[in-house]
Amino acid sequence: MKYLIIGDSAAGVNAAQTIRSKDKEGLITILSNESIAAYGRPLISYYLSGKVLPENIFYRNKNFYKKEKINLFLNTQAQEIDVKNKKVNAAQKEFEYDKLLIASGSLPLIPQIKNLKEQKNVFTFLTFDESRKIKESINPDSKVVIAGAGLIGLKAAEGLYGKVAKITVIDLADRVMASVLDKSAADIIQNHIEKKGIEFILNKSVAEVEGGEKVEKIILSDAKTLDCDIFIIAVGVRPNISLAKNAQIRTSKGIIVNEYMQTSESDIYAAGDCVESLDLISNESKVLALWPNAVSQGETAGANMAGEKKLVPSSFAMNAISFFGMQLISAGIIGGSDADIYVDKNGDKLRRLNIANDNLIGFVLINDNQRAGIYTALINDRVKLSELEYDIKLKDIGLNVYTKEKRRDKIFGKEE
Amino acid sequence: MKRIYAFEDKCLGCGLCEVYCRTAHSKSKDIIKAHKEENIVSGISIEEIMSPKSAFYFALQCRHCKDPKCVKACISGAMYKDENDIVRNNKDKCVACLSCVLVCPFGAIKKNTDGKAVSKCDLCVEVGSPVCVENCPNEAIKLLDEDSEILK
Repeated sequence: MKYLIIGDSAAGVNAAQTIRSKDKEGLITILSNESIAAYGRPLISYYLSGKVLPENIFYRNKNFYKKEKINLFLNTQAQEIDVKNKKVNAAQKEFEYDKLLIASGSLPLIPQIKNLKEQKNVFTFLTFDESRKIKESINPDSKVVIAGAGLIGLKAAEGLYGKVAKITVIDLADRVMASVLDKSAADIIQNHIEKKGIEFILNKSVAEVEGGEKVEKIILSDAKTLDCDIFIIAVGVRPNISLAKNAQIRTSKGIIVNEYMQTSESDIYAAGDCVESLDLISNESKVLALWPNAVSQGETAGANMAGEKKLVPSSFAMNAISFFGMQLISAGIIGGSDADIYVDKNGDKLRRLNIANDNLIGFVLINDNQRAGIYTALINDRVKLSELEYDIKLKDIGLNVYTKEKRRDKIFGKEE
Repeated sequence: MKRIYAFEDKCLGCGLCEVYCRTAHSKSKDIIKAHKEENIVSGISIEEIMSPKSAFYFALQCRHCKDPKCVKACISGAMYKDENDIVRNNKDKCVACLSCVLVCPFGAIKKNTDGKAVSKCDLCVEVGSPVCVENCPNEAIKLLDEDSEILK
C-alpha cells in the first residue's frame, strides 16, 4: 500500500504515525514545502525571541522519520493531484498513491493594500522560514508595524520585543484578539502588552504603503502615517485548498470531508487547517484552524487510510496562549444574544463563563488557569449544569463538581 | 498498565503524598530544600470536597489516559506517551503554553512555579515506584492494574 501525505505538520505527522502503527509494511511518503522537518508551528514566535533554540523547535525526535520508516521530501511543493491516475506532481517528480492525505494547512490572508507588492521588508508569520527571515532582517533600530492584533500578530510582537526600536500593532477591530475575546477580556490583554511599550492602533486598517524596494511608510485608513522598516502582515489565515479545488474535490471555505476525514474522492482524505469540520457548539461546518484539532483529524484520517473505521472526535474553538507572562485560556464561543454571561474579575484576573440552556458553551480565563480542562470537558461532554454538585459560577472548578459516582468512574477510567 | 488509583473514602487529606512527591522530584531529594528552595509543584494534589457538616478529600494526579488529550494538544511535542504508556512531559521542549491544561479533563496538570514548564505525575519512573503510594498512611492511593478486581 502506498500512502502519500501532502503537508508535514500536526495533521500530516500524526496521520503518518497512526498509519505506521496499523500498517508496518506500507510505503509512507510525506511531501513538505518547508525547509525543515515538522516543528511546533506556534513556537516560531519563541524562536524569534530566542526562548526556544532551533534544535528544540522540532515536533518529533531526530530519528522519528527513520524509525517510523517515513520518506520525507522537504522543499517539495505539491503542484497537482492527478485523481484519475492516482499521482501527485511535485518538484518535477511524480508520486504515486493508493491513499492520499491532503494536509496542506493554511495560507496567510493578504488584505487589499495599495502599492503592496512583494517588497523585501514585508513578511507574514506562519512558518519557520518567515520567522527566520524576520530574525535576520531586524536590528535594534527597526520600526516594526504589524497588521493584525489577533493571536499571530500579538505573538509576533512578543517575539520581537526588546530586539527592535518600536512595535506598532494595527487592527480593524475595536479590540485585540477580536475573534476570541470580548472587549473587557481583550482590554486586560491589551493593557498588559501596552505596559511593555508596544503601541496599538485600533479601529483602523492599513490603506497604503509607500517606498521603493522596501516599504518605508504605512498609511492608515484615517490618513495617518507611520515610519516602517519591517512590515508584518498577520490579519488571519485561509485554508490552503487550491490543490483540492483544481482536482475537482469538493470544497467550500475549506475542503469538505465526512466524519472519516474522507473527501468527495474516496481514496483522498484531508485533515487539519485546510478542512471544514463540524463545530460542536454551533453545529455548523467551520474551519477550525487549531493545533489539537489538526492532530485528532490527522490521527483519524490515518486510521481510516490504513483500513480502520474511525470517527473524528467533535471539535470547537479553543486556545491557550500567553503574552509576557499573562496567561489566556479560552474555549467555545464568546457570547450570543440569549447567552447568560458570568464575569468574575479581579485586577488582571478574569473568569468569564458563557452559559446557555443549562450548558457551558464558552469560557475565558486570564491568569486563572488551573483545572481549565474541566470547563473544556463540560463543553465537550455537553454536561447539564443543573446535574452538577455546585453552581460553577460560584466557585473555582474542580473534579468535585461531579457527583461521587461520576467522579469515581472518571478517576477509575471507566469512561475511556 | 498499572496506574495510581485514589480511594476517596480512605483519604484523610493529610497531604503527605504531595510532600513525598515534591521531594522525590527535587534535585536535592531533601524534604526541606525541596519545599523551601526548589519550589517544586507536586504531581499529585489533595482535592477537598466541602459538605455542610464536614470535608472529604481525594488525591488527584494524571490518569495516564489511553488516548491522552494533552499529548494531542501539545504544540511543541513535549508531552508524549512513552514506551510503557506513561504520559510524560519533556521539560526541555515545554514552553508552558498550557494547551495541556486547557484540555485535561481531570485538571491534573499544573504550571511550574518558574512558569517555564508544566508539572504532572510521571508515575515516579525515574525514582522506581510511586512515592505517594508508598507513603500514604491510610492506603488511600494504590498502584493497581487497570483490570484489577478492586476497581470493579
